[in-house]
Amino acid sequence: MCKGHSHSHSHDHGVATQEVAMEENFMQANDDLAKENRSILENHGITAFDFMGAIGSGKTTMIGKITERLKDRYGIAILNGDATTVDDFDDSALEGAQLLQISTKGACHLDADMVARALREEIDLHQTDLMFIENVGNLVCPADFPLGSKKRVVVVSVSEGPYTVRKHTEMFMGAEIAVINKMEIADVMGIDVDALINDIHTVNPNTKVVTTSCRSGEGVDDLIELLLERSAEKVNA
Amino acid sequence: MHELSVASSIANSVMDFARKHNAQKVVEVTLAIGELTSLATEQLSFCYHTVCKDTLIDGSSLSIEKIEAEVSCSHCSYNGAPKMWEGAFHSLEVPTLQCPECGKGAEAVKGDECTIKNIKYVE
Repeated sequence: MCKGHSHSHSHDHGVATQEVAMEENFMQANDDLAKENRSILENHGITAFDFMGAIGSGKTTMIGKITERLKDRYGIAILNGDATTVDDFDDSALEGAQLLQISTKGACHLDADMVARALREEIDLHQTDLMFIENVGNLVCPADFPLGSKKRVVVVSVSEGPYTVRKHTEMFMGAEIAVINKMEIADVMGIDVDALINDIHTVNPNTKVVTTSCRSGEGVDDLIELLLERSAEKVNA
Repeated sequence: MHELSVASSIANSVMDFARKHNAQKVVEVTLAIGELTSLATEQLSFCYHTVCKDTLIDGSSLSIEKIEAEVSCSHCSYNGAPKMWEGAFHSLEVPTLQCPECGKGAEAVKGDECTIKNIKYVE
């Protein structure tokens, strides 16, 4: 809605034109829904994480490994956003967790409305303690669409090359946690992991960084500690 | 790529405005976009004109003002322009959240604006 607008009149080429000054945020609808999502989640005591990162960075595997390790202690819901496919998960390993595929039908990011519908209609909020929201594989667009999660986690794999942080600074600016994944192939890929970590901290000194090899599970416990804020200092040291 | 959905939401707001003000024609829409958003302004402009085709705001021009980022540091009380990362990629200079004074993490207080600032129309 336009608020505090001012009106003026002028004549361009003999046609009377009106001008209205306003302050209308065109991302407001998403921002409002994200706030609503956040309060619904908080009211149900749910901690939600938005996992963002490129296609193939390991988001799905990572959420799977975390869930395997936590599902006996916590009620877990996974919202898996995908542009097209709807079968990203191997259900058997995740038995006990609520799984929901959200197809964005080609769109490049999840938005707060898609998550709002899932919270209202699909997820049993009373059975949920932790929620992992996997965004569409994309290192640009999700940055502009908060979903209402408590923390935003960006996953980058060493296979994306040495410049991935520099090329996507907005994404890292908005992330509380950054995970560098596929550490087991860093040497083969010729990636200087310290330089990547340095890049992340150049963009945002507050972002906590953890390194993982999700396929073997290495580092996943450190990531869990960071997500659950049990010993963030130790991991970030 | 998300410029299309953003352009549609801008166009919807402008159409609501045009109906509310009984505008015969919308001449110009001015946006203010912060440099910390990941909106590409040229793409946004292209998408805007595409989604406006054959609507009551067809033919409106879009002008975009860039809002520079500002940060605030809780460690040393710095307020102002962010530290720029020179040559981050080729000759690109990008804003960061590192405090230019003390080097610790600062918070962005300006630069994520996505605002319709002004609409010029014919009644």
